[in-house]
Amino acid sequence: MAKKLLYGTMAAALVLSATACGGNNNDEKNTASSSAPASSADASGSAPASEAPKDKVTYSYFLGVANAPDVNTNETTIGRLLEEQTGVNFKIEHVVGDLKAKVGTMIASNDYPDVINPDAAIDMLVDAGAFIDLTDLIEKNPNIKRVYGPFLPQMKAADGKIYYLPITAQVGEYAPDPEINQGAFWIQRRVLKEAGYPKIKTFDEYMNLIEEFVSKHKDEDLTGFISLTHDWRFFAIANVPMHLDGYPNDGNVEIDMNTLEAKTYFTTDSTKRFLQKLNDFNAKGLFDKASFVDNYDQYLAKLSSKKVVGFFDYGWQSGNARNLLRDAARADQSQDDFVYFPMPLTWDGSKDQLQDPPGFVKNRGIGISVSAKDPERIMAFWDNLLNEENQVMKSWGIKGETYDVDANGRFFRTAEMIKMIDEPFNLKFGFRYFNFDWPQYGANSTLADGNAFAPGFQPEVFQLGLTEGDKTILNAYGVKTYSELFAKPDDRPWFPAWGIPKAQGSPEQIWETKHDEVIKKYYPKIVLAKPADFEKVWAEYTAEFGKLDTAGYEKWYTEQIKLAVEAAKVK
Amino acid sequence: MESNITTATSSVTSNKPTGLKLFFRKLVQQRMLVLMSVPFVIWLFLFKYMPLWGWTTAFQKYKPARSFSEQEWVGWDQFNFLFSDERFLRVLRNTLAMSGINLILGFVTAVILALLLNELRSVIFKRVVQTVTYMPHFLSWVVAAGIIQSTLSTDGIINVLLIKLGFIDKGNEILFLGIPKDFWGILGAGTVWKEIGWNTIVYLAAIATIDPSQYEAAEMDGAGRFRRMWHITLPGIRSVIIVLLILNIGNLMQSGFEAQYLLGNGMNIDYSENIDIFVLKYGLEQSNFSLAVAGGMFKSVVSIVLLVIANNVAKRFGGSRVF
Amino acid sequence: MANSASGTAPKKLRRDSSIGDRIFDIANIVFLCLLMVASLYPFLNQLALSLNQAMDSIKGGIYIWPRHFSLENYKYVFKDNQVYQATMISFLRLIVGTVFSVFSTAIVAYTISRPDFVLRKFVTIAFVLTAYINPGIIPDFLNIRDLHLVNSFWVYIWPGLIGVFTLILVRSFIDELPESIMESARIDGAGEFKTLMSIVLPLCLPVLATIALFTAVFQWNSWIDVFLYNSSNEKLSTLQYELQKILQNSSAASSATSAFSNSQAAATMVTPLSIRATMTIVASVPMIMMYPFLQKYFVKGMTVGGVKG
Repeated sequence: MAKKLLYGTMAAALVLSATACGGNNNDEKNTASSSAPASSADASGSAPASEAPKDKVTYSYFLGVANAPDVNTNETTIGRLLEEQTGVNFKIEHVVGDLKAKVGTMIASNDYPDVINPDAAIDMLVDAGAFIDLTDLIEKNPNIKRVYGPFLPQMKAADGKIYYLPITAQVGEYAPDPEINQGAFWIQRRVLKEAGYPKIKTFDEYMNLIEEFVSKHKDEDLTGFISLTHDWRFFAIANVPMHLDGYPNDGNVEIDMNTLEAKTYFTTDSTKRFLQKLNDFNAKGLFDKASFVDNYDQYLAKLSSKKVVGFFDYGWQSGNARNLLRDAARADQSQDDFVYFPMPLTWDGSKDQLQDPPGFVKNRGIGISVSAKDPERIMAFWDNLLNEENQVMKSWGIKGETYDVDANGRFFRTAEMIKMIDEPFNLKFGFRYFNFDWPQYGANSTLADGNAFAPGFQPEVFQLGLTEGDKTILNAYGVKTYSELFAKPDDRPWFPAWGIPKAQGSPEQIWETKHDEVIKKYYPKIVLAKPADFEKVWAEYTAEFGKLDTAGYEKWYTEQIKLAVEAAKVK
Repeated sequence: MESNITTATSSVTSNKPTGLKLFFRKLVQQRMLVLMSVPFVIWLFLFKYMPLWGWTTAFQKYKPARSFSEQEWVGWDQFNFLFSDERFLRVLRNTLAMSGINLILGFVTAVILALLLNELRSVIFKRVVQTVTYMPHFLSWVVAAGIIQSTLSTDGIINVLLIKLGFIDKGNEILFLGIPKDFWGILGAGTVWKEIGWNTIVYLAAIATIDPSQYEAAEMDGAGRFRRMWHITLPGIRSVIIVLLILNIGNLMQSGFEAQYLLGNGMNIDYSENIDIFVLKYGLEQSNFSLAVAGGMFKSVVSIVLLVIANNVAKRFGGSRVF
Repeated sequence: MANSASGTAPKKLRRDSSIGDRIFDIANIVFLCLLMVASLYPFLNQLALSLNQAMDSIKGGIYIWPRHFSLENYKYVFKDNQVYQATMISFLRLIVGTVFSVFSTAIVAYTISRPDFVLRKFVTIAFVLTAYINPGIIPDFLNIRDLHLVNSFWVYIWPGLIGVFTLILVRSFIDELPESIMESARIDGAGEFKTLMSIVLPLCLPVLATIALFTAVFQWNSWIDVFLYNSSNEKLSTLQYELQKILQNSSAASSATSAFSNSQAAATMVTPLSIRATMTIVASVPMIMMYPFLQKYFVKGMTVGGVKG
């Protein structure tokens, strides 16, 4: 009887799924009668491989980040053009639940997709022998060789083989991001306006400015300074002393440019001084003590409330709130007062290093699995993707549609194009899918013809988006872009140090987990303590922190940094 | 498959060697009951007991890529790592305290709500209350935690009320989620708020099977409301309460982790971190599957001990029990 | 008919209730109304957020009424045809899963409620223990794979077929039934299966409705099994899984930096906050609507119980 029931429901399931997928075929229309990708001037790369057209194939691609809906790449404009060139389509599956559990099941069943970009689980897969060695294949593919050649020594795993292609290979000149997506000390524009656009270089000047402003506007119920501390975002407060010391975001260590020694900074005078300042602000009612319990949504709500005078954060984390304020200012000039302005600060006013140097994130990348039947063809697809014309296409799109070229050969986008390229368009066209998750030029790369690889980094595109208020304040500080305010990043071959892979369950990983617990527990205590108790709580904290094997961690890091520097010299 | 079934059955029967003949005679006699239960026991073994080989990984430095014979055996290392950590006792305490509080609060409030609903005269109002209180069960913890956080925030309704009523001054708002010792209470209250309607369902079902003539008879005798509750309704759902209580005592090691994870922060970590979070941080997040399994095994052992104790206590008091 | 009789009989008697009774009634109603406010608020809040412009919601301060009305969040959730197909699968697994589970649970519960059944203790303990043991994700996965359930609809049904809590719950209800009823059935020559079907199950309707509800909600909310076993087969995707995907995409979409397009265009239209609210509404409305339909079985059971006395 049960069997009958079973077959009955099975049949019902089949019918349902059959009818349900019948109504699925309506995305054929928007396939723009595509002109071939714009061939920009003398590309240094080779032309697309012009062998006899091959059969169409579809490879499976597992992506460890859920940044877009699952897709067949040939359903996007870019993907279809690439398929026309190579016959290759990728079916992308994004992770939805716990990444490590999913990757664990893949490994245990020894059944992999053809291509894997496992994000944070990459060490598990390398460890499991899930990737094939790419060393020889790289040699055979001129574009891959051209883009990754300088980084090959750094890409080698401990056994000397290369298992994946990282996604941030700098090509050409360093093109800075005109916006600030990295760390900055933000302040409401009205504060600067009221003070006559002073040149602020140090953290103390900045905090004084905030304090003065709040005391002058007592009736406005303002918050002087807040911090983002929620969950894994705690680094937005913990990293500040590192930046004030004049270092870029290397994670838990500051690396001396001369001796290459890696030093943690969690119990240094710098951290103490920073926390003492926050403690002082808290005592004066200038610091929002809820910073330590608020979640991310609450934090963003506070930033967009116009009541917060200053904060430190990375641009990409506070972008939503700041965009909101900027949109308001675009609609109504008077709202410009509440837009935040980024400032590069250090303790002593010396050179800041808040902008990321051209980095090479070694512990992320895309590799070919041992289950893939035709690694050569996948590599050929990537090689073709990496030729300059296709890099222009995946980044800028199609000439005349998503960008244009002026008389001087400069790429730009018209206001209409900018308006057209919204989120649905990004998905449809494929910008989103070919954004980050493939072998590609690093974001700060420059094309052979001098144009920025990333449209957002092209000054012409940036200028187009500025409001009157933006121009006023940029003029006041004598710069054309926000990033000009910041010092040029020094060359650091190991950057970012947090991207140096750590073995599973290694002492380094355990140290990081424990250190995270200690600072998350004590920073609130230190900041919210009565000023008289500050020293006492600080001593408690350093005693607790002292239980960790920090010297071992620093030693490990120093070794890794030296290796990275050696590897960088080989090129 | 066929052979599977026969082996499973034979292992079942060989479990009880005493009075073998009598046993088989009964088995034949009760073949209908055997036929009704054994297929599901086979199902149970296939789906629940077969994968238990996985517990061996707790004694390994398990790597998914290796076959069983290639694994590196490390004995009790994973357990030592767990038990030797100074925080382990703390997270164990938190686990038991939070699930204990949730268990008691959950039970008491759900039974009370069931009794109160049973006292309503309007069937429509009763159904409305039932449905509305059932709704928060469908909030994910992310949403529920977000609402709890905003309610308890410095500009949330509770602080606003406290200021209005003059208990605190403006500027001295209370950081509820920053007070470690308040965490268990906040979590308990939050869980009641989210689950009370859901937990009540089963008691309402139990009340529905109580013979209404009993109420009528009691009323004739002039029994008041509370006496009826005490002498008819509560006894009527007693066995359900006891059975669920036993099962849930066995579940004390499972305090969940979403709510604690979402509402937890550096300030309340000493009271919010439980075993699951601890194991997550040092197990899965470090790709150490073995530690996760070891933590799971430890929880299982404690759970089963608790279950047996609870069951025996219930047995001693002559009430219903689970087995 | 029986229904209304049992409903009105106590009412008539209570009419001449004391002042204490009245006070209790009023206090009860007031208390329950307050409870309803607390229970309703989160939903109104999520509904308001889901109907509010996502970017505007970032500012906070949305309580039970949208500030900038917008249907964009719903459009975003429903823009993909996949969602409709997944909803069908969700309903299918809900129906099949619930029918199978309730039926199987009732059968096993009946056998372990027979006091003289020789395997009673063995079966009970074998089941109960599984509530407290967890083999771990990877062994579970390999087991399911070896049973050939990966990439199959049945992986939604078989592993969760019988839950320990529901099993013991049903058993304790059967335990409460007067033995005399079952005795008389057996004397009539009815087999065990027939006793179960014709006598026990009808008497157990309230608890069966309860576990049907529990199972249905469990089936409806599950998405981890889709993720682990069927993630590469979009035909077997479920609504909750699709919603999880959409939620995670929205978080990526909202944190998309301006690096690759102009910042103006990158000003996103959805945020995790508003998509989560939309999801909450979309996913919970069917479950909330289901409940009133099951509630009537609680009353029906009462009348059957009344007849039996």
